[in-house]
Amino acid sequence: MKINGHTQTAFWLLALLLWEGVARISGAVRATIASPTLILAQYWSNADLFVPHVLATLHCAGLGFALGSLVAVAAAMLFCRFPVVEGAFRGINVALFAMPPIVVGPVLAILCSDDLPQIILAALVVYFPIMAAMLVGLRDTDPRLLDVIRTYGGGWNAVLRFARLRSALPALLAGLRAAAPLAVLGAMLGEFGSGVRWGLGSFLLGSLGDADPARLLSIGLAATAIAAAGYGVFAWIGRRTVGTTMSVTLAPDRSPDQITGEGPYSLAQRMALLVGAVMLPFLLWWLLLRLSHISPIVAPSPVDTLVYLVSGPEGADARQALLVALSHTLPLAALGLFTGIAAAFLLAALTVVCPQMAKAILPLALLLQSMPLIALVPVVLLLVGRDTAASVMMAVLVVFFPAYVLLSQGFALVPRPACELIEVYGGTRAKQLKLVSVPYAAPYIFAAAKLVAPRALLGVMVAEWLLTGKGLGNLLNVSRGSLDYDMVWAGTVTSIVISIAVYEAISWIERVVG
Amino acid sequence: MATEQLSALPVKEVELSVESVSKRFHARGKFIEALSSVTLGVRSGSFVAIIGPSGCGKSTLLRLIAGLEEPDDGVVRVRNERPQTFRARGQLGIAFQDPALLPWRSVRRNVALPLEVLGMPVRDHRQRIESLIELVGLSGYADAVPSQLSGGMRQRVAIARALVTNPSVLLLDEPFGALDQILRRSMNQELQRIWMASPTTALMVTHSIDEAVFLADQVIVMDAAPGRIRDTITVSFPRPRSSALFAAPEFHLVCDRLAAKLEVCGAS
Repeated sequence: MKINGHTQTAFWLLALLLWEGVARISGAVRATIASPTLILAQYWSNADLFVPHVLATLHCAGLGFALGSLVAVAAAMLFCRFPVVEGAFRGINVALFAMPPIVVGPVLAILCSDDLPQIILAALVVYFPIMAAMLVGLRDTDPRLLDVIRTYGGGWNAVLRFARLRSALPALLAGLRAAAPLAVLGAMLGEFGSGVRWGLGSFLLGSLGDADPARLLSIGLAATAIAAAGYGVFAWIGRRTVGTTMSVTLAPDRSPDQITGEGPYSLAQRMALLVGAVMLPFLLWWLLLRLSHISPIVAPSPVDTLVYLVSGPEGADARQALLVALSHTLPLAALGLFTGIAAAFLLAALTVVCPQMAKAILPLALLLQSMPLIALVPVVLLLVGRDTAASVMMAVLVVFFPAYVLLSQGFALVPRPACELIEVYGGTRAKQLKLVSVPYAAPYIFAAAKLVAPRALLGVMVAEWLLTGKGLGNLLNVSRGSLDYDMVWAGTVTSIVISIAVYEAISWIERVVG
Repeated sequence: MATEQLSALPVKEVELSVESVSKRFHARGKFIEALSSVTLGVRSGSFVAIIGPSGCGKSTLLRLIAGLEEPDDGVVRVRNERPQTFRARGQLGIAFQDPALLPWRSVRRNVALPLEVLGMPVRDHRQRIESLIELVGLSGYADAVPSQLSGGMRQRVAIARALVTNPSVLLLDEPFGALDQILRRSMNQELQRIWMASPTTALMVTHSIDEAVFLADQVIVMDAAPGRIRDTITVSFPRPRSSALFAAPEFHLVCDRLAAKLEVCGAS
């Protein structure tokens, strides 16, 4: 079957009609996944609610996006100019890449008020993908162009002005495009943490109790629509200005390892950089608190937090609470991660045998991988309920689509001659898959794991916070509600440290195996 | 200036001088001696070709003269100045094997790039840019972007760009290396025409024996591991040299002599 734009549109229209029809006939279906007309009716009848909620989220996501992308572009230029600075900031970059942003919300809500927590969280979430894309774009500038400019006496600034900035533009636009939906996610996660009145996150939080499917899905769809609009704006600008290419469309987000520039550093210099990279986040944390004159009771320093956990009077209880929460959350995240990646790998492998399938699934996966994962909460709640299964399903869903996009790219990069060799000897597609494609694509599993492991943790924590009431997500939510500042900080820092450890562990396995 | 006179000229001022220059690179923990004690002088107004096996350091030598690399030992001077000082005055033109055009700029704006980097007003050079585009046979393509041009046309843009500052020294690093033989020969003739039309000292790195013999007054033969100069031969065919020269027996004699020297290099 040949799949083109029209057949796809027809397919989706048919699916919508089927959904509507089944929901009209069956009350049970109507009670779980509503129907398209019921969802649309929500926007009409509750416009007085939707308009301010949407505007509040848009406002924070937009400001956060602007702030985050400005910082990201400036940082990328700085890192490109002085690779040592990038080395020193590696700790911060990995933390921003790997941390589950939901844990930062409560801390931000302690440090500042009004819209600021949501704006800052949106900025923190968009920083890494934009910075990474811009830095790679700046670095990947054709070295021969640089030679030409340098031959005419052009220094670093001339090279930046005439070559690097312009040739980084497609990468920057791809980064902005990927980050726009994340800004919506960041703003909504910030709303959970700060508990503000307006915003789609708050709207969702307040509507979970009623479990009205039409209401929940309409909120999820509204968030998705804003995210998709952000994505669409930059996709359009990209097409208009630089002529988007397939490789840019497919390029997955990058992990910190993929942007590290190599330098001819000695062992001693590398050790110094490593120590600096580990110390810098804590140093900034301490400095920020010193400069902002916030009471140490609500905002403890790194040392205070360590003391609280290790030798403080509540230390034993705090450790116990964290341990219980972690032993609930981490296995679920791991389970979700493995299941999601395994499913993605299987499906990507299947598309080698049946290439038409890839054509049908890939556009959908590309769209869904940039969907703000909070929009999945209603779907998970309506399908699975508030069980532990909700956490796993959430993790699987947020892992699956990006992993699938990356892995099918891995399968697509298998050299053709290698496949044709099998074909020449009369091998079937299945044989080709076994002998060539799978061994070639297997290393991409680690790249995918590195990219989606933070999402798995975030997915589980979002489900815990909103649905199941267990684990680390719940611990943070409860501590936030009961103004247990020490616990909020300890929980946040522990989550970030664990995320970094997981990231580094996967990188290490990748290096050993690869 | 006709070339019978040029080859008969007494040793004039030396335009390029390379004295006992060595250059090492380290790759995978090993040091590679790219150039070992190389000495070379190029007279003003002459056309010199450098030929040699891969890895003989011929491109490194060119990059040293362009100031893109610094020598580990020895001195490189362009008209008695450091290359970095000399090139800042816009007296140096360069073209690489890859045209290295800015893909987002039109032909006209690519040709103008050196002026912009040097901080010269492009407006004052409008006429020169147009006449250079005409000289390389691209009138009518001034507003095209590189992706709309063929490989040979892009290379001609790169040549026009190398000439835009009216350079007294022209460095060419295998500028026609990626072209097919037929196109390469017609480009050789065009280059000769362009070079004869302006008083320029040219230094060209090439892989092609007949290109070197056709274009150069002097061919420098280099040898690899470590990179060093093995020999120099003088080519004294009158100019302008026409395409008929490619078929002439005396042309092939010189080519054979050069090939023999290169074989000695390969064998050692």
